[in-house]
Amino acid sequence: MIPAAFDYAAPATLDEALRLLRRHRHAKVMAGGQSLLSLMKLRVASPSFIIDLRRIGRLAYVKEDKGAIAVGAMTTHAALAAAALVRRRLPALAQAAEAIGDLQVRNVGTIGGSLAHADPAADYPAVLLACDGVVVVRGPRGTRKVPAGQWFTGLFATALRSGEIVVEVQFPILPAGTRSAYVKMKHPASGFAVVGAAAVVRLGRDGRVADVRLAFTGAASHAFRARAAEEALRGQEPTEAAVRAAMARAPEGVDLLEDLVADAAYRAQLVRVYGARAVLAALG
Amino acid sequence: MSVGTLRRTRGGVGSSARRVDGVPKVKGAFQYGSDLWAEEMLWGQTVRSPHAHARIRGVDIAKALSYPGVRAVLLAADVPGRKTFGLEFADQPVLAQDRVRYVGEPVAILAAVDPEVARRAAERVVVDYEVLPAVTDMEEALRPGAPQVHEYGNVLHHVRIVHGDPDAPADVWVEGYYETAMQDQAILGPEAGMAVPADDGGVDLYVATQWLHVDRQQVAPCLGLPPEKVRLHLAGVGGAFGAREDVSMHIHACMLALRTGRPVRIVYSREESFFGHVHRHPSRVWMRHGATRDGRLVNVYARVLLDGGAYASSGAAVITNAATFATGPYEVPNALVEATRVFTHNPPCGAMRGFGAPQVCFAHEAQMDRLAQALGMDPARVRLQNAMKTGSVTITGQVVRGSAPVRQVIERCLALPMPEEPAAGPRDPQALPGGAGNVSRGEGVRRGVGIAVGYKNIAYSGGFDDSAEARVRVFRTADGPAVEVHSAAAEVGEGLHTVLVQVARTELGIEHVTLHPPDTAIGSAGSTSASRQTMMSGGAVQLACRAVAEELFRRVRARAASAGRTLRGELTLADGRVLAAGEPVGEVDNYLDEPIEARRTYHHRPTQPLDERGQGDVHVTLAFAAQRAVVEVDEELGLARVVQLASAHDVGRAINPQGVEGQIEGGAAMGLGLALMEEVQLDGGRIRNASFTDYLIPTFLDMPPVVSAVVEEPEPGVPYGAKGVGEMATLVATPAIVAALRAATGRPLNRAPVRPDDLIGLAPPVASGPPPPAPAVPGPRPVPHYHGLDAGQQELMRPESD
Repeated sequence: MIPAAFDYAAPATLDEALRLLRRHRHAKVMAGGQSLLSLMKLRVASPSFIIDLRRIGRLAYVKEDKGAIAVGAMTTHAALAAAALVRRRLPALAQAAEAIGDLQVRNVGTIGGSLAHADPAADYPAVLLACDGVVVVRGPRGTRKVPAGQWFTGLFATALRSGEIVVEVQFPILPAGTRSAYVKMKHPASGFAVVGAAAVVRLGRDGRVADVRLAFTGAASHAFRARAAEEALRGQEPTEAAVRAAMARAPEGVDLLEDLVADAAYRAQLVRVYGARAVLAALG
Repeated sequence: MSVGTLRRTRGGVGSSARRVDGVPKVKGAFQYGSDLWAEEMLWGQTVRSPHAHARIRGVDIAKALSYPGVRAVLLAADVPGRKTFGLEFADQPVLAQDRVRYVGEPVAILAAVDPEVARRAAERVVVDYEVLPAVTDMEEALRPGAPQVHEYGNVLHHVRIVHGDPDAPADVWVEGYYETAMQDQAILGPEAGMAVPADDGGVDLYVATQWLHVDRQQVAPCLGLPPEKVRLHLAGVGGAFGAREDVSMHIHACMLALRTGRPVRIVYSREESFFGHVHRHPSRVWMRHGATRDGRLVNVYARVLLDGGAYASSGAAVITNAATFATGPYEVPNALVEATRVFTHNPPCGAMRGFGAPQVCFAHEAQMDRLAQALGMDPARVRLQNAMKTGSVTITGQVVRGSAPVRQVIERCLALPMPEEPAAGPRDPQALPGGAGNVSRGEGVRRGVGIAVGYKNIAYSGGFDDSAEARVRVFRTADGPAVEVHSAAAEVGEGLHTVLVQVARTELGIEHVTLHPPDTAIGSAGSTSASRQTMMSGGAVQLACRAVAEELFRRVRARAASAGRTLRGELTLADGRVLAAGEPVGEVDNYLDEPIEARRTYHHRPTQPLDERGQGDVHVTLAFAAQRAVVEVDEELGLARVVQLASAHDVGRAINPQGVEGQIEGGAAMGLGLALMEEVQLDGGRIRNASFTDYLIPTFLDMPPVVSAVVEEPEPGVPYGAKGVGEMATLVATPAIVAALRAATGRPLNRAPVRPDDLIGLAPPVASGPPPPAPAVPGPRPVPHYHGLDAGQQELMRPESD
């Protein structure tokens, strides 16, 4: 279908974009547009004004900055998946970027757009949570940093305030010996995660699991950390049996989504299986 | 007499001739129904019911009518002629009158200058509904006190087949309950057409359909016009599979065009398409099979329910097919089949590839496996031992006169090479269940193999004479002789038009064959369905070609006689020349000072309707198929991947071997869809997944290699001995795949599609109570009656105002 009519501006600078956003209270900010345009075509969203960020070239970068991988909000999924720094230091992030949608979506869609949109089945949220990432936003009152754990507040809902734009995402560089992986069941048609699991694991000198962070997307109204499963795995030998046993606790206390592709019972199974497969993949 | 260079006539019967529509389709130049366009054209839009069952207290169209750009808003009262239409029974309102019976039923139509205006105006049509209790479960619909879908009750038709002694004892009994879901044809081209008002007060309708003449038979009375003033032309068809047997936007577009005096085009969106055509009937089947200890079938009981939704469509014929094929392609001496086609407030169901046979094939093949297990026999052996053959008697008492190579299709299928076992060690995730998303190393993957055998009728059954007409004209061009074939037969993507060209080439020895656009200027070709067109329209073209050849030979003999010569031996045509006793006499061109034209009609052999005991010589001819499926299941994720499909098909004779292969592969894909993913999900009569994001169909990634064998035992008495091949692959693929899933998991899967939950035991097999009691036979009327072109439709529902 064809979207409803809308006004459009493509500012060249972030300041101009913020000014426009202040002036047009109901404007929608568009990064890659890979989620927004679909909603507009289906008439689920009919914004009257679009502020397109694509001319703001300075927001697309991947660099190492003060012990973190700093990713500009307008970095495309394809660029992120290909970035040597990410592939080397945070494989889970590269794997998530690579698993998004299809090639066309990855070439246009951006990390900032995805995190601002906060689709419950998007891939990045699991990695952001498992890595204790930070979302950097700029607004009328300057810049603020939102820790991953506070970013997702509900279905398509984030800590982003009116007038703010996501400018950067920071992923702390993992200590040596810490490994990560992201795995997902891809919806056959949409490519979204039916369930996606990100695991960050560090083994101690004794060979046991010294630290583990495990986060899921696609399974609930927003991405979540599976702390009970993390707790169960910590201090264990990293055997397949131990990992699977710990994952029995992964869906604990979570209100699982039910939709046409998976009911709650099956989603719980997917959380257990993908959780285990993510940890095992991280351990290599 | 001039002598030309000999040019061999290529692309005749038996060759994989290039498709006549292949190049434009590949290049994107083919004009589909949705590409129709005319100057000054208006866009039609349909307002549909949001309720499964409601009374319409009133409709306010004032706001829609006054919306700028709107040219007409029409309601039931504006239908110029008969208020209802239907394939077999005219029970479906053109526009809802005082009541809606399913979610998506058309209530109002409007025409506007552009689609956006049409869409917005449609939102301004205000319908005042009084919502009524709905019945959306087929068993509930049969219970006393259930909401009545029609004043004549909730049963469209019941078929009882009593064969031999239904009380005959057996050594071993197996019992089972099975369900199949509502499947969508998923035609890639949605419903589309354009109506153009004509100067004579009539209308020309360009529409993507399966049968122009049956459409006209329904459209003209509703428009209050004589048939000759309603001219139908075939628009490019983007797939059919039964979805275009029923009228969709036809009458609406004509009404709007006649009202506004302008061309009106209606093209459904994908979502609307889910409401715009009938679906495959969901089924519930109870079966009991009795056999001797050495594995011979003795007695079969089958109780079949099909949920037809709100209207009749072709449901009476579908339930008759389901009943007559309920015991499979096996010799069954004693049987009782009770089959009921039920009305509910679900969206209407009707024709879909297989037409009642897939639902029962899913059940009887599961039963054959159960029987094999109970007897400790190999599943293939049980089937071979009971296989029908020429001379066998079906459960309707029909003697199988034609070819029936059931043993051969089973043996040829099983002889096809098995796929290789996966090598030890980590596997390419792309080859695992779930594809790249599997992310295991293939450790929890189990393989299973299943087989299924099935059969189905070719052409319409039960005494109906679905004849086909064709006109053939041979004329001279600067490039030599050429042929024009005129047939109303719809090419729906299956390759029929190529087959017609091949027939003309072979019969006349002339390669240059063109097709006149299909329309109602010629007589009916019957429907492009029931796997019938190769036999029927192929037969009509063959007859017309032979009549043309006769006239040509008369001219050849006359000229020879006037030259004082007598031609010896039989005259034949080949490579653009006339031959006598195999020796060239002259170029065809030399006899075409006047073009030669002939029009002929092909009839299949007569059949009979079933009698009150369900007995009769009901089907024209039968085609058989066997399928083997190899699947892998990830036992943690419950995801399945079909590794290979192998099938052998009884086709009589392959007119176009590549086309046959295409039908086998495409049909298998559709059967795979029903086995693993395709289900129109309903919630209180509402379709929950009316999009291709939520209604999943197989893609390249889901389809395994299909290896096939073609068994050619020509069918006596039909053109070239060719049977149809359109449907058989679909009906055997589903049970073969589900049998393989049972083998891989050890779970008694009894519902298609199989969901991941079923494969890992999160959901138990679907349970049932005892089968519902059968309604009294022969009532309730109606009895099945294909409406013929002369027969007219039966009136189930009286038009309220005429």
